[in-house]
Amino acid sequence: MSLSLWTRRAAVPMLYDRWLLLASVGLLSIGILMVASTSIVISERQFHEPFHYLTRQVVFLVGGLIAGLVLLRVDMEFWQKTGGIWLILSLFLLTAVLIPGIGRTVNGSTRWIAFGPVALQVSEIAKLSVIIYLAGYLVRRHEEVRLRMIGFLKPMFILSIAAVLLLKEPDFGAVVVMFATALGMMFLAGARLWQFIALLIAVGAAVGGLAVSSHYRLARLTAFLDPWANQYDSGYQLTQSLIAFGRGGWFGVGLGESIQKLFYLPEAHTDFLFAVLTEEWGLMGALIVIILFAIFIIRSFQIGRQAQHQGNLFNAYLAYGIGLWVGLQAMINIGVNSGVLPTKGLTLPFMSSGGSSLLVNCIGLALLLRIDHETRWRKLGLG
Amino acid sequence: MIDRSEKYLYTWRFIFLSSILFLVGAGLVWRMLDLTVIDRAFLKQQGDARTIRTMVLPAYRGMITDRNGEPLAVSTPVDSIWINPQDFDVQDQDIPQLAKLLNLPVNSIKALAKEQKKGFIYLKRGVEPALANQIKELDISGVYLQHEFHRYYPEGEVASHLIGFTNIDDKGQEGIELAYNDWLQGSPGKKRVIQDRMGHIVEEVAKLQDPRPGQNIVLSIDRRIQYIAHRELKKAIEQHHAASGSIVVLDTVTGEVLGMVNYPTYDPNVRHQARTENYRNRAVTDVFEPGSVMKAFSIATALESGKYSPNTVVDTRPGSMMVGDNEVRDVHPVGVVDLTGVLKHSSNVGTAKVILSLPKTDLVNFLHRLGFGNLTGSDFPGESPGVLQTNVTWGPFVQATLAFGYSISATPLQLARAYTVFATGGKLLPVSLLKVNAPVQGVPVLKPKAAKQMLTMLEAVMESGGSGAAGQMEGYRAAGKTGTARVATRGGYDPHRHIASFIGLAPVTRPRLIVAIVIVDPKKSYYSAQVAAPIFSQVMNDSLRILEVPPDNVALVEKQKEV
Repeated sequence: MSLSLWTRRAAVPMLYDRWLLLASVGLLSIGILMVASTSIVISERQFHEPFHYLTRQVVFLVGGLIAGLVLLRVDMEFWQKTGGIWLILSLFLLTAVLIPGIGRTVNGSTRWIAFGPVALQVSEIAKLSVIIYLAGYLVRRHEEVRLRMIGFLKPMFILSIAAVLLLKEPDFGAVVVMFATALGMMFLAGARLWQFIALLIAVGAAVGGLAVSSHYRLARLTAFLDPWANQYDSGYQLTQSLIAFGRGGWFGVGLGESIQKLFYLPEAHTDFLFAVLTEEWGLMGALIVIILFAIFIIRSFQIGRQAQHQGNLFNAYLAYGIGLWVGLQAMINIGVNSGVLPTKGLTLPFMSSGGSSLLVNCIGLALLLRIDHETRWRKLGLG
Repeated sequence: MIDRSEKYLYTWRFIFLSSILFLVGAGLVWRMLDLTVIDRAFLKQQGDARTIRTMVLPAYRGMITDRNGEPLAVSTPVDSIWINPQDFDVQDQDIPQLAKLLNLPVNSIKALAKEQKKGFIYLKRGVEPALANQIKELDISGVYLQHEFHRYYPEGEVASHLIGFTNIDDKGQEGIELAYNDWLQGSPGKKRVIQDRMGHIVEEVAKLQDPRPGQNIVLSIDRRIQYIAHRELKKAIEQHHAASGSIVVLDTVTGEVLGMVNYPTYDPNVRHQARTENYRNRAVTDVFEPGSVMKAFSIATALESGKYSPNTVVDTRPGSMMVGDNEVRDVHPVGVVDLTGVLKHSSNVGTAKVILSLPKTDLVNFLHRLGFGNLTGSDFPGESPGVLQTNVTWGPFVQATLAFGYSISATPLQLARAYTVFATGGKLLPVSLLKVNAPVQGVPVLKPKAAKQMLTMLEAVMESGGSGAAGQMEGYRAAGKTGTARVATRGGYDPHRHIASFIGLAPVTRPRLIVAIVIVDPKKSYYSAQVAAPIFSQVMNDSLRILEVPPDNVALVEKQKEV
């Protein structure tokens, strides 16, 4: 079962998803290029040497690729069996990060645990762990999820624990991505429709209640819709981001030529990388990245669909989950960059500067490739 | 297993979710198009408003030099260090280094940084470029440089009245700096730059206008003569506890001012200590009643009339005379003397008698021709024309006082200039504070013969026994006239305050320089013969030697050697 992709290539022509790999390599390459472009001046200013962030990013990319290659050899069964362990480990880390002295705080958010020179962002690990656990849960409790409310509520309860811990950091973006991904997975796994409708109504009511009870909170939540009204305080970052898009035009100002990254746009190398990318590469660059993400999502959904056809539901749900996770996070990040969503700290998968995110994205990619590999293997009657 | 899973494929859910994702993606694509293309003009303009700045490029101000090209006022590029407290990082580890470089206490820098309401505070102005670069390399957040020019005056207090100074904006405020401001100052350039948020210039978009440097000015003065005049004036004023004083050195060939000094003075490089009254270039701006130095013009008027010669006898006995209701007196009665004697002993009675014997308008017309009552044309800002009333009907007493230098006021420069007629054979030269290259045409105002006679008579003044004997020099024959005038105050003349003056020229054989000296209110001794004449000999002697004028008093030189 655990045969390598690479040694069998000659005998079996197509045992991995070329499109998925191509899109991912494309995103990773553009990502490194943009991290280089955006981080040099910031690094120079903060650390008096230009390659601080770039070096870290490259190290994490290499680490992520090695981890991915190793994990390609691991049976999916392993993940199905150990899902609970990953969940507990994640919850443990999410708790640990909140303990003073362990968690590291940057910009008011306590999201990192340092292991020597490496700081891990625990929410990134948690997101993938939750997806793995949930995929296993949806298989184990398949009937319950489809037929009973408790099957819907139990995972919601576990997610809520993780959400509370994440909100303590705070990391609202991770909560949104995690819930949305989980709901998407349960939707595809056949959970009853009215539960989703009820949840939608509940969320709608909560927002409506907020609007009625405290105007200012709603105002703060919707301030992003008119950033120019507060362009020198709360809307500052967003206006600078929008300016980056405007400066970009059709074909951009050219690689390395961004003005906005010169301290006008904070977080240019992390959360607002996409804005600088558009400034430098223009609409064309933005479309290329969006298309690459689209390919990633389409391929992960198709990989999931094929696994589902074969009856390998764990693999299917996990593929959907990873696709949704990466896709939603990319969409939210681009949405935040372009001012259609409120500003929340979320990285652009595969691209933003940030080691943990990159590492976990690479593992997610490896899992997808492995799922696809197993599906193809079975198709050939080798499963 | 296959059967069971087929049942749970939920194909519509898969399509539904995919469609939602597709629609969201399409929405984002539309948003991209909206921002990068449709809204582009607005966003770009917003961006430019934040990043593009127009910078003023300061223009180099022209240099002021003396006649030999020695710098008197120079602009050097400097940098001013300023901070924006809002961007300033108090925790920066390089702040002690910054403080050390600027020679400021660390705490005062940190205190400035606390003024969060301000966006611009100077740390230090006019820092030398090398030091400024070291500070720039520290790269402390919120610390900025501003390029400027700083005006230096190498001669300091020696030439400050003449040259004046510029203000912090490099605009002339006094003296030559003011008079020729438009010529000296260039026009600043402008360039459009892109700045990063820290205020560093990232890119120069366009040079809108090149800075046009200002032009240089070559003054007529000789730095060395200026220094000698300054040194001697300062020494004399301190010695005699005088209130103020001026010296003007004129070139009798070109009319150029070779030296012009005043005291008290100030150092234009450290102006904050200076008193504004000391800014005045008294040699040009201050008028006084000259007294006996004017007798030279009265005697010249007599010679010009043809009724008098140097040997015409004048009876000044008994040393006083009544003119109308007023008495004219000599302090030391001189008895019966010739016209030369009247000048030599500076007899008020003799001069008055001579002038009263001439047509009423002779003297005043001559004085008018000599430029009294009019600006000299030096173009110095704030120059005074002095006072000479020419069209009033005055009695004989006023005419008499005019003869010995009252009822008229003039500046030291006017007096020095008027004496050029004795050096040029009767031609009045235009004066110039700028170097003159073309030969100068004087205006004939006195017969050459009279002028020549005057020169001889003025030399007699400086012989032993004459009032100007103390002005004698070792190697040069000099001609000149002393003056000791009372200071006119409200309600008459102050018996305790005097103005000692001396105007002389040398060498007599071929006049080259005029030196005019005015010492206001000397306390110890007020007679010009004791106060002003010795300064004359020093300044004239040293100046002539600097100009390498050959001595013409060989006999005296020989005599000195023997002694």
